Amino acid sequence: MTTSYAPAGTQETMSEDIRAIEFEEGIPGFPDITRFVLVDIVDDGAFQTFQSVDDPSVGFVVAVPWLFFPDYAPMLTDVDQQGLDIERQEDAVVFCPVTVDGSASKAYMNLLGPFVVNVRTMKGRQIVLTDQELPLRAELPLNLA
Amino acid sequence: MLVLTRKAGESIVIGNEVVITVLEVRGGQIRLGVDAPRNLAVHRAEIYQQVMEENQAASIDASEGVPEILKTTASSITLRNPDSQ
Repeated sequence: MTTSYAPAGTQETMSEDIRAIEFEEGIPGFPDITRFVLVDIVDDGAFQTFQSVDDPSVGFVVAVPWLFFPDYAPMLTDVDQQGLDIERQEDAVVFCPVTVDGSASKAYMNLLGPFVVNVRTMKGRQIVLTDQELPLRAELPLNLA
Repeated sequence: MLVLTRKAGESIVIGNEVVITVLEVRGGQIRLGVDAPRNLAVHRAEIYQQVMEENQAASIDASEGVPEILKTTASSITLRNPDSQ
């Protein structure tokens, strides 16, 4: 296992000219982690981390859900859209948290609680999509060697 | 814990901006309406707890290394069943 990603990736992305994504209320379980940068784990990576700007030891693994679940159709409520000041669909980008099982042979995506970012304002929020019967833990349908 | 007795149609106010109204009491269930500022997220507690635990599971310290599975490149991905969800 190499560790080349962390020093190279984080230093590059931590530079001053990259605007942080701000989660004003933090996320459930991490109320004080409010500023993130998006870091690719590898070049052309399927997975990224929402890396905390303030605490380098905290990052959340995420991925674009449609890479794995093309039919994923999260519906944001009016309250959610207003809260993030989303005026049109292009304002919003969606990443879903990813977990890896203990043996690291399977990974799971949280389709119930995506991170939604307004790319116009660079503000984000973890939105819990209630009443849409979305799984908290969907196994990624990866064909792994 | 503060304990208050309310009937359907009655409310409680939390702080200056949060109003919780009992809409309906039927069987073993109570329907609540919540008026809160847009920046306050309102969750069912058990779902909030699950999301919190899943966030903890998704957190890593990248300086300590990343599981190989997370180094998968986007262009190498082939799905077992593209229509599955």
